[in-house]
Amino acid sequence: MAHDHGHNAPPSDTAMRAKALETLLTEKGLLDPAAIDALVETYETRVGPRNGARVVARAWTDSDYKARLLEDGTGAIAELGFSGVQGEDMVVVENTDDVHNLVTCTLCSCYPWPTLGLPPIWFKSAPYRARSVIDPRGVLREFGVELSEDVEVRVWDSNAELRYLVLPQRPAGTEGMSEDELAGLVTRDSMIGTGLAQAPAG
Amino acid sequence: MPTLTPEMVPGLVAAGASCRMDAEVAPKFKVGDTVRARDINPLSHTRLPRYIRGRTGRIVHDHGVFAFPDTSAESGTHSDPQHVYSVRFEGSELWGSHANANSCVYIDLFDDYIDPA
Repeated sequence: MAHDHGHNAPPSDTAMRAKALETLLTEKGLLDPAAIDALVETYETRVGPRNGARVVARAWTDSDYKARLLEDGTGAIAELGFSGVQGEDMVVVENTDDVHNLVTCTLCSCYPWPTLGLPPIWFKSAPYRARSVIDPRGVLREFGVELSEDVEVRVWDSNAELRYLVLPQRPAGTEGMSEDELAGLVTRDSMIGTGLAQAPAG
Repeated sequence: MPTLTPEMVPGLVAAGASCRMDAEVAPKFKVGDTVRARDINPLSHTRLPRYIRGRTGRIVHDHGVFAFPDTSAESGTHSDPQHVYSVRFEGSELWGSHANANSCVYIDLFDDYIDPA
């Protein structure tokens, strides 16, 4: 064969299992299949890291909001309309000149959905989960983040019911930028801790 | 059990289902306490990762009262409410001489995962 998948091959085991579960739940009257479409639509188009970017940009421009965010992450995030599944109990941790925070879930793939959406594949991978706690500086280096040994690296293992969002440092040269412009500099990875917020364009 | 319909999805997504429990449970530890993670090895569900078992850390925050997942997984409902703490473990405590310089792990531990150290 010219490539490694046959066009008439059966679906993968995972796809088959999902189809079987959906059929069973539907036949037992527990699920209207349109609800699955509504869920997929929600996380494909409405819930994602642009939500978290708005939280960060607000914190960068409003010191009172930032204080509330660090004190009560769930409540302050809800002020901007973001709440719910996998964000019920939020903790926001702040990067400073002295501390860099990195979020992981060594047990599975826990991730703050209302602010970041669904986790990227690498976040769920065994190598990231294992290495993020034992060699965070090495992992960060592979993501292009080189930190001085003067900077303390704090790894947050979301093993229990709390979900973590990193408040990245506001980039230099952004004085006078609007909240909307600042939100454009906030990347998904900067809110996981595997990246930094982007510098403003030239 | 009602049928899950598309109309129910936005409300369910926005509300979520917190494992926080409104129960009067006294904390067994306080911020600043040094604790050792228990060396438990259940064959059933647990949220205590192996790399923490037997290690010593310091409590930095009390998150309040949550259902205990090890029990809830068996009972099928939120049960066994207890305090959950943010506990800081130094890299050198976890990884010995192979630890990254100036690094640490913060992890959330239930009362039943820790003893005084």
